[in-house]
Amino acid sequence: MKIGKQHLSKIEDYLWEIPKSFHKNMLVPARVLAHEPILDDIIGDRSLVQLVNVASLPGIQGASWVMPDVHEGYGFPIGGVAATSHPDGAISPGGIGYDINCGVRLLTSTIMLEEVKDKIEALSKEMYAQIPSGMGKGGFLHLSQKEMEDVLSLGAKWAVDKGYGNTKDLAFIENNGHLPDADPSKVSERAKSRGLDQLGTIGSGNHFVEVDYVDEIYEPEVAEAFGLKKGQLVVLIHTGSRGLGHQIATDHIKIMMIAMEKYDIRVPDRELTCVPFSSLEGQNYYKAMCAAANYAWANRQVITWEARKAWANIFGKDHGQLELMYDVAHNMAKLETHQVDGKPHALIVHRKGATRAFGPGFSELPESYNLLGQPVIIPGSMGTSSYILIGTSKSHDLTFGSCCHGAGRRLSRTASKKQVNAPQLKEQLKERGIYVQAGSFKGIAEEAPIAYKDVNLVVETVSDAGIAKKVAKLRPVAVVKG
Amino acid sequence: MKFEFHPHTADIRMKVEANTITEVFEAALLGMSEIMKEGFCNRPFKGSLKVDLRITSKDRTCLLIDFLSEALSVSYDEKAVFCQLQIKKMGTNLLEASIYGEAIDKLDEEIKAVTYHEANLIKNKQNKWETFIIFDI
Repeated sequence: MKIGKQHLSKIEDYLWEIPKSFHKNMLVPARVLAHEPILDDIIGDRSLVQLVNVASLPGIQGASWVMPDVHEGYGFPIGGVAATSHPDGAISPGGIGYDINCGVRLLTSTIMLEEVKDKIEALSKEMYAQIPSGMGKGGFLHLSQKEMEDVLSLGAKWAVDKGYGNTKDLAFIENNGHLPDADPSKVSERAKSRGLDQLGTIGSGNHFVEVDYVDEIYEPEVAEAFGLKKGQLVVLIHTGSRGLGHQIATDHIKIMMIAMEKYDIRVPDRELTCVPFSSLEGQNYYKAMCAAANYAWANRQVITWEARKAWANIFGKDHGQLELMYDVAHNMAKLETHQVDGKPHALIVHRKGATRAFGPGFSELPESYNLLGQPVIIPGSMGTSSYILIGTSKSHDLTFGSCCHGAGRRLSRTASKKQVNAPQLKEQLKERGIYVQAGSFKGIAEEAPIAYKDVNLVVETVSDAGIAKKVAKLRPVAVVKG
Repeated sequence: MKFEFHPHTADIRMKVEANTITEVFEAALLGMSEIMKEGFCNRPFKGSLKVDLRITSKDRTCLLIDFLSEALSVSYDEKAVFCQLQIKKMGTNLLEASIYGEAIDKLDEEIKAVTYHEANLIKNKQNKWETFIIFDI
């Protein structure tokens, strides 16, 4: 199957549709949020074929969606949203990804870049020293079996109870950093074993910890409520559930692959493997996924503690705390209610490389954000901008309360490595005041800005579509990578 | 060609082609190890670590992916990279084998998972067995 521009009809400047009639397996249309220059990039890989395949997921409602940062994945495209009917529609681990609850959190500081410009290089080195990163690297915590059960059950609260944060932090995490449906008994011993020494670690790939400064403010009142000021330093943390989450996905996809026949489900791609949410296998996976999500929130909480330690070591204990602005997941399935055909419908919303972007009035949001909407954090690539957005009511009408999650890759890792001289790039970034501390030059080359779409265009698209509003733009000054 | 890498926007796409199914499994293991640590399996290899595996799967393609997933998990358990495969028993749905590897301090790449996406172990026009395998990075 090949999909070109001729197969897409333009609904708005930022919205394209592949009709249900395009392929006999499609149960709903496939929709793409993208301005035309981005669409040209998207057509270059297999994203749209994958999007059309997702439209055949049992119980899918409304449309199969991709955000403007979409790129090809394995099975589901990255940057995709698929909502299936609760409780009998499909749950598909591929629609969540192997890195369950990969997500981003932002910490705000009381320090302005201008005050500490001469300390940024030292800060980057201290961050690198305090926060373990890199392939399979373990952290300072070695959990006992009992502690692992508690992490999987309690999430970020476990970390806070152990002293790796404060109670106030929990209010500023999606779901307060805890999904109560988690059941550690649905997590294999091997998955638990892989997670014993990885709390507080970033891992590799596109994961990072970054220090940025607030470059521009677009919505002063919202920015004030979020604790953002022009020129202020902030910390961005991007990682997920590490080997534990990867193993849970691997284990349950294998189980579902066999179980699918029992439910007479056929999918066009094995990575779309799914079962009814209400089935035994569906429930077992969902409970394990919730446990992995809790692990990921505990992980980002321990990394926050490490970042605070590095901060205090450089700026002194009295020079301000790092406050948690918000923590959002971008690889997750959530049980939510949205309007379908004008009526409220209980749904299993799969977001794979997509961020929840709730508008104002949701009781789950922290009290101080409740009348405004949910913060959405969009990291760019190292060397470019990142954005803080806020969700809107329109995101509920259009995309099941969802938004993009980053800039989105456009070049393969191989192509990026061929085009980028990593030592040179590191020096060029340093000349621009961006200090990169990475485990390898290979990692720098693979994650170079050239490998990513223009984050400004991605953000303009979601802003024009009205599913999120720009609040602030950030620029990096220090990047820690595996 | 036994294994070679093809472009993929975010992950790693590997093609494996060999005369026999056994060779496909051997080459796929070598290819995965090449991603994890470039050149590791090309240097003199002692194979001091042996792990026995028993895998049952839905079909032959799944067996290959499940075998690699198992080898990957063992690599993380043992903090080792595996270069050699010795098959004791192989059917369409069953593999009993030993893999041989050596401990390693630092990997080049952390593979999150071996995916079933695009995997389809079939005989091509040249009468060789081939499949693509996508690794989630």
